[in-house]
Amino acid sequence: MSHNGSPFRYLGKGHRLIEGLDKITGRAKYAGDLTLPGMLHARLVLSPYAHARIVSIDARAARAAPGVVAVLTADDLPTRNRAVNSRHSALLAKDRVLWCGQPVVAVLGETEAAARDAADLVMIEYEPLPPIVDVRQAAMPDAPVIWPEGLPKEGADLTAAHAAVDKGEQETAGAPSNIHDEVHFARGDVERGFAEADLVIERVYRTPMVHQGYLEPHASVAEPDPYRGSITIYTSTQGQFSVRDEVARLLSLPKHKVRVVPMTIGGGFGAKYGIIDPLVAALAITVKRPVRLVLTRTEDFLSTTPSPAAIVELKVGARADGALTAIQARVLMDNGVFPFTLGGIVGTLLGGYYKCPNVKIDCYEVLTHKPQAGAYRAPGAPTATFAIESTIDDIARALGRDPLEFRLQNAAETGDPMGNNDPWPHMGLKLVLERLRDHPAWKDRQVGPNEGIGIAIGGWPCGMSPAASVCRVDTDGTVRIHVGSVDISGVHSSLVLVAAEILDIPPEQVELIQGDTHSGPYAGPSGGSQTIYSVAGAVANAARAVREKLLHVAADRFEASAADLELRNGVVSVKGFPDKALPIGELAAIAERKAGGPGPIVAEGVAAVSENAPGFVAHLAKVYVDPETGQATLKQYVAVQDVGFALNPATVAGQIHGGSVQGIGWGLYEEMVYDENGQLLTASFMDYNLPAFDQVPDIEAVLVENPSPHGPFGARGVGEPPITAGAAAIANAICDATGVRVTELPIRSERLWRAMRSRQR
Amino acid sequence: MATITVTVNGKSYTSDVEPRMLLVHYLREHLNLTGTHIGCDTSQCGACVVLVDGVSVKSCTMLAVQADGANVLTIEGLAQNGQLHPLQEGFWECHGLQCGYCTPGMIMAAYDLLQQNPNPTDEEVRHGLEGNLCRCTGYHNIVRAVQYAAAKMRGEAVPA
Repeated sequence: MSHNGSPFRYLGKGHRLIEGLDKITGRAKYAGDLTLPGMLHARLVLSPYAHARIVSIDARAARAAPGVVAVLTADDLPTRNRAVNSRHSALLAKDRVLWCGQPVVAVLGETEAAARDAADLVMIEYEPLPPIVDVRQAAMPDAPVIWPEGLPKEGADLTAAHAAVDKGEQETAGAPSNIHDEVHFARGDVERGFAEADLVIERVYRTPMVHQGYLEPHASVAEPDPYRGSITIYTSTQGQFSVRDEVARLLSLPKHKVRVVPMTIGGGFGAKYGIIDPLVAALAITVKRPVRLVLTRTEDFLSTTPSPAAIVELKVGARADGALTAIQARVLMDNGVFPFTLGGIVGTLLGGYYKCPNVKIDCYEVLTHKPQAGAYRAPGAPTATFAIESTIDDIARALGRDPLEFRLQNAAETGDPMGNNDPWPHMGLKLVLERLRDHPAWKDRQVGPNEGIGIAIGGWPCGMSPAASVCRVDTDGTVRIHVGSVDISGVHSSLVLVAAEILDIPPEQVELIQGDTHSGPYAGPSGGSQTIYSVAGAVANAARAVREKLLHVAADRFEASAADLELRNGVVSVKGFPDKALPIGELAAIAERKAGGPGPIVAEGVAAVSENAPGFVAHLAKVYVDPETGQATLKQYVAVQDVGFALNPATVAGQIHGGSVQGIGWGLYEEMVYDENGQLLTASFMDYNLPAFDQVPDIEAVLVENPSPHGPFGARGVGEPPITAGAAAIANAICDATGVRVTELPIRSERLWRAMRSRQR
Repeated sequence: MATITVTVNGKSYTSDVEPRMLLVHYLREHLNLTGTHIGCDTSQCGACVVLVDGVSVKSCTMLAVQADGANVLTIEGLAQNGQLHPLQEGFWECHGLQCGYCTPGMIMAAYDLLQQNPNPTDEEVRHGLEGNLCRCTGYHNIVRAVQYAAAKMRGEAVPA
């Protein structure tokens, strides 16, 4: 990474993580590390069936077991009258279980072992019912319907009015079939487009359910205050305010009675938005004692919200001169038992990466008896990208074109329509392709026997949401930045750099204070690659306002005009008069003492960016395929990404390394396998293959800095784009090596071996 | 209940434990050494690696009673007199961590690796640590971090 040209003193240069010291010494506190006086340990009993009626629950033996304080079912909780119509609201199952792994009973013990032992003593009688597992069958018009009377609507709502409105729309949406939602995008006339095509490729792509695989399983500790009727939740979450809102809604509490304290988070990747917190809070309120729940890995696989499986039927036409004439897609999303909607983003990307006048995309959101789907880093993008980038590669191949030049010819540019026909905001797809074109890994590419090189592009719109921050200067010169955002990836280290840059003080002099829902200025959840894009602007504005106040105090002190002052190295001085100088700490002290002065040095800053800044990537994968076993091994990986401006290149590169390897997981390794009864066959790291150390190569991160017009210092979101392209790049490399086009992920050795063998016959 | 005496990070502890208690639970629940993490139940992830008598062990695969009389080193005991171990320094300087959940286990496994092989190739680092999962870093900078520590422990200049 070359950043010698950075016009900044601290930004644009690699800095280590501010919380790194705690993490390398074992002092960082994750939610599961927390022990409170009187705290109970919860263990759950999960449904072994994908669909069954609960006939009876006999908890007598469990209640009598030593060390057990309570054994609770849905009827025992304050949520007993609430509709179960989402994963968040499914605290414990009522009457029916709807997926294998649904929590049914919670056992609370003085120790984890006592609760665990007693959980085994809970006797639940089920009447198994036929599950609907296959998404194609579920989408058939004559399929048995999971919610024949529509999704349950909210019952009597005890919630204060302000807490009730948030999810009203979702809860009233009925589902007369298993297709709970549809999205249709069209432009031009695809029939005419295909008629004009010299080449049409039509294929069906499948991507599996994939788990976020954060190393820290879900963990939450809830501490009730029975006198105030309030609750404090210490949890592993990406979005404290959204957890607060959802707990308040489900437990019918005013928001100010719920305080959520975000602990150090051991990875989230889209999954940690309060899946277990409503349950833990309800348990704690019921027994009037603090409760801790830490899921086991198997419980986490079974009961949380993996990314949805998908089927993409894709038909693309092109003329001999390389112009795309039509893109048509039908997308089935397998969302599990409660609604989740990614089809729109899948369609937006399928029809948005390339210029094409005729597009028709139909997306269907389908319910099955599986866990409700959820977000996983750039949700929907790996699926869309795998499909469109596999087909684009084959069109280039069939037309005898260089696959990179072919992409450049058709690549969408700023203002071109996305799949949903909205124009792309300022973006740099062509820039990343050009950078890859000039990279030695592509320009000087050479492959040995059974080796292949593949490329793919990918992109993500990236999110934005308004955010606030407060900046204070202490009398010793320490600058404190208060935020309500959650640091899932090192973003807070970059926020420190922003303040350091603006106040021209060493980053070590800046402290970042992460507030909870009571004390933190509002920030949106740390998802959608929006935290730097949103919060860094708020921090910058707060620091700028503090700078103005410091100059004002100094101007008063030195009887000079503020325009004649400069702030350098944490010292404000009158230009040309080195003896008229005071460090910012002393200025803060003056401000704190002076009656009738400006008051202590503190300022707030907000940011509400008006347009998102998409992040595009171009990835290159080189593979070796063992012709005997079909095992594909990665030999080289290059990840080019438009990052706008890298506030901290070390953390940006880290995002690219990690996201790329998760993309490699999509491509080669990861799959949640459900059998025909809806039983999860891959509920541990023994069976679910997270990419391991020796299964992936070095990742060469190449940063393209194409400043965004609205982001702080030109930054774009960087977290999500790197996961988008890996599976497609690998599939294209495998095709280059073997001539075999694999249309289903992951491309494990058996799948590839069968594909290679069926071609030989 | 069984009575065990274990030296952890240089300090001797005598405790009554259930015979079935895992070493990792003993460290976390009895001694409140929560730097050793639990990421799976099947000994795949390595977040719980500690050193037992100098050898790296997944502390979820060992009973506390098996550690009776042993000398255990956890992440909390790695820094000496406030001085970070070169591995800790390497992980911090080379951005070998993000969420930090795998980091203690990764560092302790790397400690054993460098004991056995003070001058590993990148490939040997990857092979040596294949029992430790990381979901954030893509492993790339962990290789750099271990090489940083290896160079420093050999008394060489650390790689740029």
